[in-house]
Amino acid sequence: MIQLGPRQKWREPSWPKPPMTRKFSLTPYLFLAPALLVISVFVLYPMLAVVYYSFTDYSIVTPPVWVGLKNFQTLLHDDVFWLALRNSFIYLLVTPTLIFLCIILAIIVNRKLPGINAFRALYYIPVISGSVAVGISWRLMLETNGLLNSALISMGILKEPVQWLAEPAYSLPIAMLLTTWMGLGYYMMVFLAGLQNISEELYDAAVIDGCNAWQKHFHVSLPGLRPQITFVAVISSLAALEVFNEVYILFGQLGGVLNSAVTMVFYLWRQAFNLHHAGMASAAAMVLLVLTLAFSVMNIRALERGTEEES
Amino acid sequence: MKPAQVGRVHPSARLPKAAETMLWYIVLCLVALVTIFPFVWVLFTSIKGPKDVIYSVPPQLIPHDPTLANYLRVWNQLPVANFFVNSIIVAVVSVILNLFFTSLAAYPFAKMNFRGRDAIFYLLLATFIVPPQLTYIPSFVLAVNVFHYYDTLLALIFPSLATVFNIFLLRQAFKTVPNDLIDAGRMDGASELRIWWSILLPIVRPSLATVAIITFVTQWNDFFWPSLMLHTRERMTLQVGLVALQGMFSSDTRGMAAGVVMTIIPILIVFVTLQRQFVRGLTGAVKG
Repeated sequence: MIQLGPRQKWREPSWPKPPMTRKFSLTPYLFLAPALLVISVFVLYPMLAVVYYSFTDYSIVTPPVWVGLKNFQTLLHDDVFWLALRNSFIYLLVTPTLIFLCIILAIIVNRKLPGINAFRALYYIPVISGSVAVGISWRLMLETNGLLNSALISMGILKEPVQWLAEPAYSLPIAMLLTTWMGLGYYMMVFLAGLQNISEELYDAAVIDGCNAWQKHFHVSLPGLRPQITFVAVISSLAALEVFNEVYILFGQLGGVLNSAVTMVFYLWRQAFNLHHAGMASAAAMVLLVLTLAFSVMNIRALERGTEEES
Repeated sequence: MKPAQVGRVHPSARLPKAAETMLWYIVLCLVALVTIFPFVWVLFTSIKGPKDVIYSVPPQLIPHDPTLANYLRVWNQLPVANFFVNSIIVAVVSVILNLFFTSLAAYPFAKMNFRGRDAIFYLLLATFIVPPQLTYIPSFVLAVNVFHYYDTLLALIFPSLATVFNIFLLRQAFKTVPNDLIDAGRMDGASELRIWWSILLPIVRPSLATVAIITFVTQWNDFFWPSLMLHTRERMTLQVGLVALQGMFSSDTRGMAAGVVMTIIPILIVFVTLQRQFVRGLTGAVKG
């Protein structure tokens, strides 16, 4: 390493000088002030407050009372909390499913056919429709006297109607299927943008080397999509850990029969806003925070490793 | 001999071009069926008359006795017009103010040198990883005890006035603006505010559109936070109102379907008219 002596201080920086005055000026802070004020009040302060609340007995109505680690001890002995944690981990299976399906979808729509844009738009509609409207539509179809049962019975697959929404074993898979379905169009477009960045020559070279249509995607598309795969892995796993709407709309305030679809955020919501245990909810929030941080660090590590190999 | 040659041709070339195209359209249609069938079914269900059954084996998809009565029933029993107006107010006001605040903040991050710039920027980026739901408990307390805007639309607008993601996106856009342009503005004696407004903003207009679309869709479809804040029927947004409808019409499948259609139509119209900007906005942001 080059020694950094005191001389370094008055040496002109070697990078091009940005167009700005060197003397202290209030201007940049004034530009920042409104946004920073909003973010401090609605993001930074709440993050600190939730850490404090997690060590208190707090019902929102009465002032918080310091109780140390009691909330965390209560959490450890709450079976529903462990179920929520387990369900949130299972929910992460949505991520590999989406990566797999959306790469295939992107390959399918990445061709010049008349009307291809219309198809892409049709695949995008579930993304923009909002989880409430989409969730209610699914709920209507899945009801015991709903479309799914009548279709399956008339095809001879089922003999009796199944209570899809009341059967604990089906709750979580149905919610995960809904999340996957709502994400298809979005992640497809991410991968499509990635595919369109891959040079045509690479595919030609692969064909000359004797690759067939599928092999060429395996050897050219997949490596070329690495940045997008990392991005989708990060974004969709964070989204999976934050799932709430799907569970609430499909299964209501109970989170499914026997808590079968309760996820971490649903547990947090119920503790805070249904049972008024804001302290407990904040403790659960801490656990969720640690989880998401761990996942982000893991994903960023993977991203760094990926770019190192490329260069 | 001609037949012998066929074996040597690359397998994909064996299919005639037209047949291959046909095959792709079939695949595309099958996928489209998966992604839009629920909407089609809801649309048909919403216009089913009393003589059309909801549940039958085999299922009946297309109504024989179409009617708009279901829409009228929902419209008369719930203040749907209020839901619409409230959703539009929240989304539009949020978009305008968010654009203003985040583009102001993005300028110094992109083009000025000042003490603490990187520290502040990375602090903001770090909050990006935190699930927003974590902040809802203190935000709820703030809404009730400090700002007193519980059960008003202000509760939805205030927290969305500035978002870290949009600041980051606009900072990236401002960085692409050549410094010479800004210097030229300064030579002419323009104030920083003037440079921001007349030089930077016009150049990054596509990015502003992206930010506008992201903010609009997020606010329009948001449910969790609005459901915590809004309890008076007349003050609800469409998403919260639709869940209220679900409670009231739990045994009325036709009515609920009508409610779903009414909620989706506005965002669908926006999507169809702005399709290109939409997809670039929500997906292109990725590259930032």
